[in-house]
Amino acid sequence: MRRWAWFGLLLLLLAGCGRGPQDLPDVAVQVGIDPDPPRLGLATVTISLRNAEQEPISGAAVEIEGNMSHAGMVPVFATASEVAPGRYQAGLDFTMGGDWFLLVRADLPDGRSLEHKIDVPGVDAVCGDTPTP
Amino acid sequence: MSSDPQTTLRRTDLFDLPGIGRFLRWRHARTVLQIPLLAGAALMVFDGLAGPQLAPKNLATVLTWVHYRGLVVLALVVAGNLFCMACPFMLVRNVMRRFRTPARIWPRRLRSKWLAAGLLGLMLFAYELFDLWAQPAWTAWLILLYFSGALLVDASFRGASFCKYLCPLGQFNFVASLNSPLQVTIRSPQTCSECQTKDCIKGRPGQRGCELWLFQPGKVGNMDCTFCLDCTHACPYENVGISGRLPASELWADPVRSGIGRFSRRPDLAALVAVFTFGALLNAFAMVSPVYVLEEWLARQLNTESEILVLALLFLVGLGVIPLGLLGLTGWLSRRWARAGSRSSLVAWITQHAYALVPLGFGIWLAHYAFHFLTGFWTFVPVLQSFVSDMAGVPLLGAPRWELGPLVPPGWLNPLELGLLGLGWFGSLLVAYRLSSRDGEEATKDGPPVWGAFLPWAVLLSLLLAAAIWLMGQPMEMRGTLFAG
Repeated sequence: MRRWAWFGLLLLLLAGCGRGPQDLPDVAVQVGIDPDPPRLGLATVTISLRNAEQEPISGAAVEIEGNMSHAGMVPVFATASEVAPGRYQAGLDFTMGGDWFLLVRADLPDGRSLEHKIDVPGVDAVCGDTPTP
Repeated sequence: MSSDPQTTLRRTDLFDLPGIGRFLRWRHARTVLQIPLLAGAALMVFDGLAGPQLAPKNLATVLTWVHYRGLVVLALVVAGNLFCMACPFMLVRNVMRRFRTPARIWPRRLRSKWLAAGLLGLMLFAYELFDLWAQPAWTAWLILLYFSGALLVDASFRGASFCKYLCPLGQFNFVASLNSPLQVTIRSPQTCSECQTKDCIKGRPGQRGCELWLFQPGKVGNMDCTFCLDCTHACPYENVGISGRLPASELWADPVRSGIGRFSRRPDLAALVAVFTFGALLNAFAMVSPVYVLEEWLARQLNTESEILVLALLFLVGLGVIPLGLLGLTGWLSRRWARAGSRSSLVAWITQHAYALVPLGFGIWLAHYAFHFLTGFWTFVPVLQSFVSDMAGVPLLGAPRWELGPLVPPGWLNPLELGLLGLGWFGSLLVAYRLSSRDGEEATKDGPPVWGAFLPWAVLLSLLLAAAIWLMGQPMEMRGTLFAG
């Protein structure tokens, strides 16, 4: 019985040791998506990076990965360009309706890197590129 | 044309093939197949619990919901119940049995498929409720639950009670394997008739017999057969092999099957078949856009934000009301037009004919799982690369190739799905016709019209096909957060 208790404890410990996106505590990441709410097709993703003093962080290399919340679909990638100090923009193609998440990866000028995840639930399956009659 | 519904190709026995035959005769063949699956399960549990909680980047979700499901149905269509043959749950259970021999027998009242049908439905419900396709940790816990269930039940009860009466994966495989081209069967009936020891079911020192109570001379078809090959290894005359057969042909035969009885007298089996078939439609429906419109509407009507309530209602209707209604109406019409009222009750009539659903149900599962398998086939590569890189600290397998995905061009998918659905539908029509013809043979001299018995079932099968085709054409929209908050 004791052996099973240790095994259970090991499983719980494993459950607590997740690998995953790594934010930096002194960097604030804000993400905006246009259109909002998002729908099938091309969207503009805007990322704002600010330091602890709320100052914009310029000169970062920012990449966005868009993926669906379920396994088996190919992710979409986009490299963001800095359009204003601390503001980075990229076009991202939502290829299917449903729940998505975005991973924002940024290599900062100070040499540090971060990976920030945001959920994008309920991307509408209706394509926004084709105008309605 | 042969009148033998099984149409066993006696010379097509895997045990006669060089290499394969020798491997299968080896008493540790199953163990060799189980070990890699056990290792895979361990890997999936580890990454599910400790890895990134992002489904497309975790081995638990990628390997379970994309590759395992796809490989299981592909194996069933080209061979047989190969997953149960290589079941890792049973490997662990066999090790446990070295230390603990259960004394109890599975309770007589529970020796049916009612519980199994309920568990299969519950499994499908849990999949939707907990969004298992998007949850690595939950997927890992599900795998552990299966291992625990197998250990607990088989530590308490003799035989393979978990496999025969409970395991939802096993029940799915049993029903699907009724369509498979291979079956475990005897090679020479005469040899069996002269056998005094019945080792295939009783076992002998150092080798157990069939734990699912399938006595080989009386075994017919694949229901309840896990392809474990215990019977093969126990038989002192090497008289049990794996032979080819006409897929789905066992569905229109109704002999007494060892360990099962007659299909026509097993309403619990018919219920399992109904859950299998209507579950295929429901599982696909839950992945497309219209279901979210329906769920929102239901939530408004019920004035609730409870996902479990809305889903429970959907499943009650989808796996309860609709199947009962459709099968009831179809059976009533069929029995009436067949003028079989005096020979058969409505429940018995429906039970006899429900097995016609199997090929179409399997076709729907095949189309659905093949879609995910083919669109996401290569996704295991970057996930494995990422896993090794995280564990080793260096990208030993190279930088993850996240752009890898489909095995076939997207344009192939729709025709393939339609083809699989069409094959399933045709197989079901054939089974339904043969079942109706069998009723004609058993009828009185005046005989019921075969077409009268057959037509309602043909209409039902065509409606289900139309529903499946409509579903496959809907935009996929995998969601799990309708009721978030």
